[in-house]
Order: sequence, then structure tokens, then C-alpha cells
Amino acid sequence: MKISDLLEHSAAAFADRTAITHGERSVTFDELWATVSTLERFLRQLPIEPGSRVAILFENSIEYLTCFFAATKAGCVVVPLDTSANPLTLRSILSDCSATLLFCQSRYQRHLAKILNESTPVKWLVTDKEIKTDFDGVTRYSLDNVIGNTGDHPEDNTPAPQERELSWTDSPNELAAIYYTSGSTGDAKGVMLSHRNLVSNTLGTVEYLGLRAEDSVMVILPFYYIYGNSLLLTHIACGGRLVVDNRFLYPEVILDTMEKEQVTGLSGVPSNFVILLNKSTFKTRRFEHLRYFTQAGGAMAPKTIQQLMDAFPEKEIWIMYGQTEASPRASYLPPDKLKDKLGSIGIAVPDVTLSIVNDSGAPVESGQTGQILISGPNVMLGYWNQPEETATVLHEGGLLTGDLARQDKDGFFHIVGRKKEIIKTGGNRVSAKEVEECLLRFDNILEASVFGVPDELLGEAIKAVVVLKKNAQANAKQIQDHCKTQLALHKAPKHIVFTESLPKLESGKINKQALVNNRS
Amino acid sequence: MTTTDTATIRNKLRQFIAETFFIGEGSDDLADADSFMENGVIDSTGILELTSFLEERFEITVEDDDMIPDNLDSIDNLVRYLGSKAV
Repeated sequence: MKISDLLEHSAAAFADRTAITHGERSVTFDELWATVSTLERFLRQLPIEPGSRVAILFENSIEYLTCFFAATKAGCVVVPLDTSANPLTLRSILSDCSATLLFCQSRYQRHLAKILNESTPVKWLVTDKEIKTDFDGVTRYSLDNVIGNTGDHPEDNTPAPQERELSWTDSPNELAAIYYTSGSTGDAKGVMLSHRNLVSNTLGTVEYLGLRAEDSVMVILPFYYIYGNSLLLTHIACGGRLVVDNRFLYPEVILDTMEKEQVTGLSGVPSNFVILLNKSTFKTRRFEHLRYFTQAGGAMAPKTIQQLMDAFPEKEIWIMYGQTEASPRASYLPPDKLKDKLGSIGIAVPDVTLSIVNDSGAPVESGQTGQILISGPNVMLGYWNQPEETATVLHEGGLLTGDLARQDKDGFFHIVGRKKEIIKTGGNRVSAKEVEECLLRFDNILEASVFGVPDELLGEAIKAVVVLKKNAQANAKQIQDHCKTQLALHKAPKHIVFTESLPKLESGKINKQALVNNRS
Repeated sequence: MTTTDTATIRNKLRQFIAETFFIGEGSDDLADADSFMENGVIDSTGILELTSFLEERFEITVEDDDMIPDNLDSIDNLVRYLGSKAV
């Protein structure tokens, strides 16, 4: 079973049910399948080899789903792109994965001149609406023309979808998608996920959450983000409905949409819940149809979990843990254990094993702290074109997460720290090294050290301690602006502290732990 | 509000937006009627910085149900919103 088979199954089993609602537009599974099939036929007419990388630069929309499933159905590897990334990062990713086709929403066309330079591997550009600009060596198409005005009548040409047995055991280990994420070394890494990875994790998540065709989830997380992708696949698989609204900037708008569309679920990262609980009318609304909340994307403060429990005692609250490299879900805390195990990441998801290992990769004694090792069909194939990086995290088929944890006597896992220098801020992973290197490219900075500090809204905020060169001057704003021009915006330090010198270890290395401990 | 007051408020808002959410000179491209959301100017944490600024600088309370695009999503909308708060 491939990921496009999940859609085919639902198109057969739930043909007339709504697959996705975005604003005033809704599309049934049957309609989505027909459109996907039309776009797939177009892709197959191009000289694209199976396994070619096809990148998607679209915000959450019906078109995103169409491009995503059409590309996978045509045997291509999808590369979802962060719509908030700067053009240089996007260009670097397209080059790294040698994407030959780019689906691009016309609202991002301002980036195209920088993305599609003379060395771009992209040969075909498909935008939602016709654009006027030409790019050397790139052939342009518009989705409007490809899907809407081809004279092709999908209902006549599309074979009827077939119901499938929903099972991952026959899913191929063939590459399905590449998700780019920050690694501890700073460079973006392409996480290679197979059909088997994604189908197994999707079906496991549907099983433990008890998702069914009557469910509909409020989608505020981007589909290019692996947690958003999980919402996409799980609801397509169960015949549920995706309710898309990209306006979380204004929480009241989202809350109104939740009520209007009578959603049964809301999924978010910690900052989403902090904003809803503290800066909206969330707590005063009852959401009669809502059954559950899910939270992942970094540890949520127990205080916030408690606030959510107090505000909605009758709703299920699912705390979940995972990584992009685990497709992404690795563990969940059942709602009935939330009070007893507050702060725990719970137990392994179906078909996945979590164990705690020491530096040699051997299991630690019960109750001892070690690194979480994830084993199962959800563990990634590796990092794209980075065999050495892959070797550092894949251990005898398992994934070394870099997260330090212990397992309690009841079998529940508790995270106690992090082995790698990764900061989890606002649901994003940020490499401390990448930010430090960026700071050192600022002319007036002599030394810099970067780490995460607790932040109620973001989970962790990025803090930089910097030493300026002799007689040099710079203020925090100038340094933050420098970072924002070179890195994604969420990677710019929120706090910048100036000091005369940084503490050092005997080896001469910066004693970061001393800085972390001295949080003044 | 008088015309002068409105111009002063508009300048203060523009200065805050430029200093907080823009890098270098880019803010000149943002027209007073342009949507912050459509132009990717502010994210969901940035909107909290904006409301904190409004509360501190103009001594108002931004109620939870005031946090809608009609009130906050452009400089024009902000000026109108502050007017409704009798700033």
C-alpha cells in the first residue's frame, strides 16, 4: 500500500463525504480523487522519471492536497517546502534534492526570480494561477489549465477507485517524501520517508486516536510540517474531514471556524495552546462537537496542560511525542492517564518500540536515564545524500533521538533532557551551531554561544550570549536583523545578552553549561 | 481624533512595525492598507508583541474578542481600531 492508496481507499469507501473544507470551498473524496488523477495523468505526460523529486510550495489548501497525492500517485517523491523560508533556503533545498518540478502558489511568485536561477534543477513550474514571468530553461503551466480546462472529463477517464485493506505490512520501502529539518550540525537535512514509514505511522495514529469518518480536524499547522502532514494523512485514511484555516494569527477567526464547521478535533503545538488559553475567548466557548485535542511539537508546560484540562474537563487531551525522522509519531499519553502521568510522553504508538539506551546503544537498567531509541516501521530511511549523518542516528535499524529520558515502573516514558544541541522553539527544531555560525559572520561579534531557555509561549526561546570585538559596537536589533537575513525568521535569537567574555573549559571550548546555568 | 492625532498615531504604528518586524528598509513597501497576514509581516507570536505595544503605548486594553483582522490586520485597521477605543 502506498500513501496515494489511502486516498483511493477513502474515495471508494467514503465517496460523497467531504475530504477538505477551506473557506467556502469543500471537496468530496470522490472529487479529490478525480482531480488528483487528472493531475497525475498530466505529470505522467512529462518526461519525469519515477522517483524524481517534486517540490510543493503551497500554503494549506485543496490544491496542496491535489499536488501532494498526484505526485505520489505518479511515482514521484514529494518535497514539501516551508512557505516561511527565505528564497535562498528554498533554492538550496531544491538544489540539494535536485527537484525537477516545482508546484508553486502564485502568492510566492515574488521568490521565484531568486529560486529559479540559471543553476536550478527545476525544469517545470506549475502555479495555481497563470503567471507572466518567464524563467530560463523552465516550462510553465498553471493548475487552472491542467485541471480545469483540459477538456478532460475526469469522470470519463479515471478508473473507479478501489477499496483497500488498510495495512502497512505490504507497503514498499520505496522513498515517498523528503522533509527538510534542522540538524545539530546546522545544515538542513532531508529526512527520507518511505511509503511504509508514512502508511504505518498513519494507521497506528488512526488506531490509538480512534479516528473515524465522522471526525473532522481543525488544521492550523502547515502541511509541509510533519505534524501537519500527519493530520493530512490520518484524516484522509479514516475518511475524516480536514478543515483548513491559515489565519491562526487571529485566534478568534479560528475559534469561529471551529464552531461553524463543528470540528471534532484540534491539533496544535504548545504555542498554539498558550495563545488560545491566554489571548482568546477559547475558554469561554463550549465546542459541543469537539471530542479531542492533540498536542506535539515539543514539551508543553504542565501548567498549560492543567489550564487546558481545567477549561475543557470533558474533552480528550492527547499529549504526543515524535520526530520527523519517526514519520513522526513515536509515543502518546492516553487521556485517562493525563492526571497521573502529567509531564510524561506516554507509551509507544502501535507497532513501534521505544527503549532507553546508553552511549554504547545497550539498554539501560530499569528506571535509569538514557537516550530514547525508536524502533519500528516508522523509522526513516536516512538523510538525503548524507550517509555519515545517517550513520550517527540509525543504530541497528533504530533511531537514536538525542532525547534523554527514563521509563517509570508503569512503563511510561519521561523526557529529562537533550543530548544534542537542538533548541525546540515554537514547534521548530533549531540548531544552536547554525545560529552561532550566523552570529560569527556578523562583523562586530568576536564570540557567541547559543542555547534554549524556557519560554511559556514557545516552549524554548533562543538566547545568544555574545562578546563584541574590541571597540566595536552593535545592538540587539542589528544582530537580530543580521540573523533574519541569513536564517529562517524563527531561528533569530529572541534574547541577546552582551558580555565581556565567555566562560571556557580547560580545553578552551566555551563552557555552555555554565552559561545555561547562569540564567540571569 | 484630529487629523494631526491620526497622523501621529499612524507614524508611531509604522515605526513600531518597521522596527519590530522588518529587516532593514523593507517596511517602505508596505502600504497602510496592506494586510499583515497576506504579506507575511507578522506571525502568531508577533501579533502578541503588537497587542502588548498597543496596550502599553496607547494605554488601552485589547480584549480577546478584539483580536480579529478587521481591527489589527493593517495600519489602516489599527488606526481605525484605536479611534474606536477613543485614543
